[in-house]
Amino acid sequence: MARFSTSQTAAAVPLNGRIKKRRTKSIPLIQQVAGADRFWVMLFLLPFIILYTSFTLWPLLATIIYSFFDWDGNGPLELFIRLENYITIARDPLFWLSFRNTLVFALINTAIKLPLSLMAAILLTRKWLWGQRLFRTVYFAPLVIPVAMAGLIFQLLLHPANGAINDLLTSTGLVQRPIDFLGNERLALLSLVIVSVWQIFGQYMIYWMAALQNVPEALYEAAELDGAGEWKKLVHITLPIIRPVAIIILFLAFVNALKVFGLVVTMTGGGPGFQTYVVPYFIYTQALVDFPFRYGYASAAAVLFGVTILLAVTVQGYFVRRAEADRKDYGV
Amino acid sequence: MIRMNRFSRYNLIAVTLLVIIGFIWIYPFLWVMFASLKTSSEMFSAGATLLPENWDLSNFVRAWDKANFSTYFFNTVLYAAAATVIELFKSSMCGYVLGRYRFPGRNLLLGLVTATLFIPIASIILPQFKLVQALGLLNTRAGVILALSGGSGALYVLLFTGFFQTLPDELFESARIDGATFWQTFRLMLPLAKPIIATVVIFQFMSTWNEFNIPLVFTLGRPELRNMAVGMYAFRGEFSVDWTGFAAGTTISIIPVLLVFFVFQGYFVRGLAGAVKQ
Repeated sequence: MARFSTSQTAAAVPLNGRIKKRRTKSIPLIQQVAGADRFWVMLFLLPFIILYTSFTLWPLLATIIYSFFDWDGNGPLELFIRLENYITIARDPLFWLSFRNTLVFALINTAIKLPLSLMAAILLTRKWLWGQRLFRTVYFAPLVIPVAMAGLIFQLLLHPANGAINDLLTSTGLVQRPIDFLGNERLALLSLVIVSVWQIFGQYMIYWMAALQNVPEALYEAAELDGAGEWKKLVHITLPIIRPVAIIILFLAFVNALKVFGLVVTMTGGGPGFQTYVVPYFIYTQALVDFPFRYGYASAAAVLFGVTILLAVTVQGYFVRRAEADRKDYGV
Repeated sequence: MIRMNRFSRYNLIAVTLLVIIGFIWIYPFLWVMFASLKTSSEMFSAGATLLPENWDLSNFVRAWDKANFSTYFFNTVLYAAAATVIELFKSSMCGYVLGRYRFPGRNLLLGLVTATLFIPIASIILPQFKLVQALGLLNTRAGVILALSGGSGALYVLLFTGFFQTLPDELFESARIDGATFWQTFRLMLPLAKPIIATVVIFQFMSTWNEFNIPLVFTLGRPELRNMAVGMYAFRGEFSVDWTGFAAGTTISIIPVLLVFFVFQGYFVRGLAGAVKQ
């Protein structure tokens, strides 16, 4: 899931917090472990805990440790330099340019993909729609292309000399001269945004569809008896009910957009110039591409970036709690 | 009768819209699929045209044989299947215990798992690499599978936890009265989690099928262990940009996943919806 992977992830997160709160109040029956069950509980936890500790927790901890060293990724960790990596990075213009680009990318990406995927989800969950299965598969399809491949394909399609998109634009007379989408300073980042929306769209469509499934059918039936049309049902029933989940999806979408990487590698390589450098790409080049490798330095960038994401999540938590209160008011 | 007409009218507008946008949407797919049937000179001169003038199947043959795609295909299936099975086992077991039992450290574990959902994976691949290296599994299929199924799974645990938590207590009560052991109770409850299982299978299968970073870094020394996503990328270097071969390879690798989605999508949405509802 690395790419696709990390991203779908969090649908359940804030929900889980909610479960805990509610369940402990109404049903205090979750069992305290006792007797022979102790053995079983340990046995059941073990596989997950071993893999989780070694492949998630330890790497995270290691990254934090590396960030205090001057280290190229090979050999022993010897040069402990305290906060020097962090001090250097605070003055590194390329890091801040990447930071800015990442934020711009994530904001525009989220602002485009969420409303569009919501509209698609609403339409594709209408009971009266013909060909539901086919349309869902069509709009979901780009998600099954590995990011690296999607990048290559769009490199071809957007090519200024013989790419299909320029061919279409010039032959229909929409533009006079072919556009160098990925070579133009102003257009490159925007092109990345559009391709990434296309690529990830299906995932958010599925999230919205899941949210929409929780609207009780009875409400629609009652509204229909009262003579409400599709539009009224949308504004007065659907949207208010999915609002709390919408906030979760919103923050999830933003946090995931901050992780953009594969498309940058395959479509622009950070260029033209440094115009499409984003933080994950910056980390990657510092650690594994630009010689001499600066793994400690890249780790410091990763930690700084990770803290930013966690801050975003904390803000999300605050909004989720508020949304929860709203949800109770609607009695759902 | 009037109702029927109204819905038919909706359909006329919606379906037209969906077909037009849908065509634009999958145009890149179609372009690649048709490009895989073109000769390479035609591919570059054809621009936006889809249908090839001369149908040429040799790209598939070349991709499958010369470019090692049969091996990559086998690896991809193996990685995806193994990682999915491992994932299913560990996350359902852990989620079951977290959902039904209280034990010391439970809240800590839940909190950690939730927090780590938000960490970008790119920054932790080197420590993972060092670990697999230390285990002596670098450049082996086992190493790739281990890393693929080790790094993910937090979401799945939370999905299972949420699901088992919402099962009615009477179920467990009656199992207990009947004298069912821990293991027997688990065997009884697991099939109830079908929507979650389906969600995990689709997510995990799809993501390991498309996984790029881990197979790339963990098989650098042995190209024959690559999966299709990595093999495809390497296509550029090794075969001096054989774009039509690349197109053929892409076509081979995406069609199976699309079929999986087409068949299982109902479960998929329901599984997620269940998770959201809780």
